[in-house]
Amino acid sequence: MRGIGARLRLLLRLVGLLTLCIGQSSCMTTLPKIAPVHKATRRTPTMPAAVTVQQRVLSTPTPACTGTFVAHDLDHSTVVAGETVQMFEGNGTGVAINDLDDDGDLDLVLANRHGANTIFWNEGRLQFRPDRFGRGATRAINVVDVDGDNHLDLVFTRGNSGPNYWRNTGMKQDNERWEQTILDGVAKPAYSMAWDDTDGDGDLDLVAGSYDAELLNVGGNNFLFGDGAGVYAYENRGDHWAGTRLAQKSQALALALFDVNADGHRDLLAGNDFATPDQTWARRGGAWIEAAPFSQISHSPMSYDWGDIDNNGSFELFATDMKPYTFNLQTLAQWRPMMEKMWHPTPFGDPQIMENTLQISQNDGTFRNEAYSRGIDATGWSWSGKFGDLDNDGFLDLYVVNGMIEAELFAYLPNQELVEQNQALRNDGSGRFVPVPQWKLGSERSGRGMSMADLDSDGDLDIVVNNIRGAAQLFENRLCGGTSIELDLRWPQSKNTRAIGATLILDTDAGRFSRDVRAGSGYLSGDPARVHFGIPAHATISHLDIHWPDGAVTSLDKLSPHVLITVTRT
Amino acid sequence: MITHEVAPEAQCIPRFPVLALLHPREKTRLFILWLGLGVAGGMGVMRLFVLPSWSVTALVLGLLLVPALQKWRSDAHRWGHTVMVLSVLLAAQAFHSLEHAVQMFQYHVLHWPPFASSGLISAANAEWVHFLWNWGVVAVVGYLAWNGMRNVWAWLLLGWALAHAAEHSYMLVRYLGLAHELQQLGFPQISAQGLPGVLGRDGWLARSTTTQGTFICRLPGLTTASRIDVHFWWNTGEIVALLLAAHTFLRSHLSQLHAHSAQAH
Repeated sequence: MRGIGARLRLLLRLVGLLTLCIGQSSCMTTLPKIAPVHKATRRTPTMPAAVTVQQRVLSTPTPACTGTFVAHDLDHSTVVAGETVQMFEGNGTGVAINDLDDDGDLDLVLANRHGANTIFWNEGRLQFRPDRFGRGATRAINVVDVDGDNHLDLVFTRGNSGPNYWRNTGMKQDNERWEQTILDGVAKPAYSMAWDDTDGDGDLDLVAGSYDAELLNVGGNNFLFGDGAGVYAYENRGDHWAGTRLAQKSQALALALFDVNADGHRDLLAGNDFATPDQTWARRGGAWIEAAPFSQISHSPMSYDWGDIDNNGSFELFATDMKPYTFNLQTLAQWRPMMEKMWHPTPFGDPQIMENTLQISQNDGTFRNEAYSRGIDATGWSWSGKFGDLDNDGFLDLYVVNGMIEAELFAYLPNQELVEQNQALRNDGSGRFVPVPQWKLGSERSGRGMSMADLDSDGDLDIVVNNIRGAAQLFENRLCGGTSIELDLRWPQSKNTRAIGATLILDTDAGRFSRDVRAGSGYLSGDPARVHFGIPAHATISHLDIHWPDGAVTSLDKLSPHVLITVTRT
Repeated sequence: MITHEVAPEAQCIPRFPVLALLHPREKTRLFILWLGLGVAGGMGVMRLFVLPSWSVTALVLGLLLVPALQKWRSDAHRWGHTVMVLSVLLAAQAFHSLEHAVQMFQYHVLHWPPFASSGLISAANAEWVHFLWNWGVVAVVGYLAWNGMRNVWAWLLLGWALAHAAEHSYMLVRYLGLAHELQQLGFPQISAQGLPGVLGRDGWLARSTTTQGTFICRLPGLTTASRIDVHFWWNTGEIVALLLAAHTFLRSHLSQLHAHSAQAH
């Protein structure tokens, strides 16, 4: 036994030495070396994963912090056909962030309805070059490496037809970079989508959901008496996609791939608008099994997000809905006629409530909605709601964009618009949230898609919002205090080249912070593969564990703050 | 304070004098008859003239008032005016508690929205009904205290009723403000009822900027219960205090009547 142990230790040293050498040779700065330690001590299975590590020091924030966000207009506005916003046009479109040209800076993609989509190429220092792209008529946007060729592709949903897939050829010229092609086998109308390696075969699979109310509105009897749409799970088979119909009908404003039962497999949630109850399917034995894990759910969830808000190692699930954030009489009067119009009798035992929900996992495996007691049940007519450590204090904060425009529903309001202020809520360190209007994120434009990322590479999260009937906005983070670590995972041997589905756990003397790599969350919006950890100013970093989607684990020690680390699996 | 001629029956002190006081006695049949007639007639009239459901309740109450007035006159003759007023309050508050139980049924069992779960009579106008009702209760309890119902339960009842009436005053102000705002928007017909009060879920205490992020926003019941639950418990507290105050008062009052009567004989 002693002999085997000695050989194993020797092998580990050799692997460590090898990866250290590769890491050292590819370091761009003279930062302290990061030591990958291949051990299987912190979590059960696991096979060690050899990696190379590159790190880059993040830039110093300029100008200096002011304790607020600063709003910048982007040259893009989601517009609709005609003078007024009719019916579901008011639902707007999404935004996605990712490094499209692999230059280290995160680019933006904003969808549109009646105008062109826009790619904003990040040229550094928050300078962006707009590039009109496609004809619009889109809803959700995700930036993922669909074909596993190491170049990030664009996938837009369109609501009333199958998704638009723009393959990134890797060419440098804008007009040569994109090649419009099809996802063979993915033809059903899709409004929302989610990406992950759901079948564990190493490539990315797709889940898409329809919004039948809009299809009925557009297609009328053709839709009503046709085959319909619903929720489909499409398995990536390399040259084509094999779809499994999970639901015949859906009003899926939101889809999420979230590990509900903590078995290591991401389950599927479809957040349905109107009275249609949300649906959950657990991933079990390679199949999707319908489940009902929540005793209380949002009535019309527009978006899902998840994060470890109390740093206890498990993710909480957040859904946005419609409930005024202030109870002043003027606001309530604006809501009341619409609420009365929308009210309908609910069946006995209906778990739906018209407010945001926060599902907290209990010890017995059940979930309890704690949105009200944690102060995040009411954020207005809410669309995208996302967690992010905006003030770098180690705790995930929440930002929600809101507002509604619709000619018939709000005919009694000026410009047929319910004007609301976006809501920023700071996590006070206990998993409870307090409004922070002083952060100046309370834009009154009608926000729909929203995503967060460090766009100026200064170590804090900036925010991009795709507004309807108003210019999109970039909120530059100039909050003070704290530091951060950012991580890009690369897995070039896999078809899942950005390691979507990986979980990262950072241990510090101020707590253990958990994040995951995902393609999208919030309303119709895509997330960057880059993971951001906010860290309190004086905290000492112990180590980082990366749990790759195939179960392999990489542990990194000797980490410095304020760096972007690229971990490439070899 | 006791100046009335007392009937001989008052000399016997029942173990539970509140029950004796609430019993319709010789008017029982009349009560049942009017109740049946009221419900049947009210339902018919409601269907025929497409009247709101609260009008049935109003009709039944109107019909029941006839035997009730006779019964209360009899109470006054037997036990004096103060006890008669207490009898009226007990009957009315019992009905009011029933009203809140119905609201709980509408909200929790039928899953009606809060603004539609307004009970049997309050649908006429819950805010005004409850505002006037609760200040009326304060006035009557004050009268009873002035006329001898002074015990620890009575003082608790008075404090409870005052706080409850204050909450309804806040709600009435909010209701009138919202009705005004709705009128400004061109919706005078839309109900402004059902807003949360000071206590309960989304109430002033829970939503005030001064309490944001504090434990006050999470006080079980006080800042988490729905308006319907909160007011059910307000009234439950009120009727419990009233029953205890009435029991204590009646036992002592009837003893005095007994002693007075014995002395007179």
